[in-house]
Amino acid sequence: MSATEHNAEIAAPDRAWVSEVGQRLSAVLPALGLAAAVLLIWEAAVRLFNIPQFVVPAPSAIAVALFEQRVALASASKATAFEVVFGFVLAALVGIVVALAIVRFERFGKALYPLVVLFQTVPKVALAPIFILWFGYDLAPKIVLIVVIAFFPVAIDMLAGLQSVEPSFVALMRSVGASRGEILRRVRIPHSLPHLMAGLKVAITFSVIGAIVGEFAGASAGLGYVIQFASTQLETPLVFAALIVVSVLGLVFYYLVEFAEHLLVPWSPKFDRAHAGVVAT
Amino acid sequence: MTPATSASTLAEVRNLASARTPHILARGVALDFAHSGQRQRVLADIDLAIPKGSFVSLIGPSGCGKSTLLKVIAGLLRPAEGEVSVAGLAPQEAARQRMIGLVFQDATLLPWKNALENAAFLQMSGENAAPREAAMTQAREMLRLVGLEGAEAKRPRQLSGGMQQRVAIARALTLDPEVLLMDEPFGALDAITREEMRQCLLDIWERTGKTVVLVTHSIDEAVFLSREVHVLGGRPARIIETIPIDLPEPRTEACLTDPAFTRAEARLRSLLIESHRSGKRT
Repeated sequence: MSATEHNAEIAAPDRAWVSEVGQRLSAVLPALGLAAAVLLIWEAAVRLFNIPQFVVPAPSAIAVALFEQRVALASASKATAFEVVFGFVLAALVGIVVALAIVRFERFGKALYPLVVLFQTVPKVALAPIFILWFGYDLAPKIVLIVVIAFFPVAIDMLAGLQSVEPSFVALMRSVGASRGEILRRVRIPHSLPHLMAGLKVAITFSVIGAIVGEFAGASAGLGYVIQFASTQLETPLVFAALIVVSVLGLVFYYLVEFAEHLLVPWSPKFDRAHAGVVAT
Repeated sequence: MTPATSASTLAEVRNLASARTPHILARGVALDFAHSGQRQRVLADIDLAIPKGSFVSLIGPSGCGKSTLLKVIAGLLRPAEGEVSVAGLAPQEAARQRMIGLVFQDATLLPWKNALENAAFLQMSGENAAPREAAMTQAREMLRLVGLEGAEAKRPRQLSGGMQQRVAIARALTLDPEVLLMDEPFGALDAITREEMRQCLLDIWERTGKTVVLVTHSIDEAVFLSREVHVLGGRPARIIETIPIDLPEPRTEACLTDPAFTRAEARLRSLLIESHRSGKRT
């Protein structure tokens, strides 16, 4: 009796939760269906036209490679993930420091900002061989490459956040005698955090790209190394398997940053319920 | 210097100042804006003498310079000619000593702070920042005064436009300023909320006795609230007329049907239309 009562009590929120999951499922269902159809056609085409495995492997062959090489892929993922995290954290720090320096030291900022933008036009992927030359085959060249690629969106977004405080609020602060430093610390920096999080989401994606490119240029471990090594051996299923792992890795990192955003800036305008229906998620 | 002595000297300065001069004084004020390399005069020959505890409105067509004049009084802009004083001090100095409370059309609240923290924020800022506890206590009291008791923990985005503006008023009042300068504070609100806010502002004025200067483009708002309305117009803007409003105090709904109200309203309307036309010609 008490069990049924208990059930009745939680039934309402329970059902709400179920219906929400149901709604989300029905939102992704068309995409899942399409993906399944593409995979089926792919598999059928490879078998029907007898396409050699080293040109285009069937999805089933990729799945087999994923399973058989799971140990190698796991250790490669570990190496790449370490580079990504290390590089991303450094890139974030560099980006934040650059943005703060530009805002806090106006003259220095005027000198620095054009150089930062100019540097952004250099195709940094092309720098990978030079970094290998300078820093060897270990972790260092990959980290440098990631920092160089990923600090820019952090710096630019944070800068936009620091500078977009309402001028009338700054006027209020100045009128009671608040210094530039105080306004920066108590108003500009907190105000910039949602922008910073947007920059970090771009940066984490760039970091994964930086790690893979760095490994292409010269490495003895990592998913980029696996992809390059496997392609020279014509082990195309393994190339695809590694690609899938890279994508999953990128996705996991991205959602970790998004999760951090919910924790750090729950007041961000993007979480505003009033606009929840307007913004596509 | 201990806090006690600084507070008492501050009070002395304030008393001396208010005894000698009108609370807000402007003499021959002119202001230029640099506009694509050229200096353009936006305010000229502004004379104002606002007694302590008065409620005064500045009214004029949009873009005529009434907000600019308020910014000069607030010390946010320095006049090119003439002088301004608030409680006998230069506006910047008065602002630093927290004698000036400012309210803009937008509430400009910090989205990461709740209503109470927002109301206390300015009081905890700047040169004479109050300690957190004291500022919070004052802010709580001011939130009660503006009718926001119980909403202290709400974030700005959980508040309606009118409630946000109430927080902004509470933030200005938490400084315990001598004068309250308001730049179209109800401009972004709907009609009903506007009327509520007018009443709220009248209550605050009657209870606190602050000197209030209100910039508005609403004729009935100016007449209903003020003891005196200054009409701005022309290019550069001057005070083209000052109209005393003789309505019984405290102001109530009954004032709206008072013949004096209708007369003042009609007079202001014709002045504004005239000023609007003259502004267009140049």
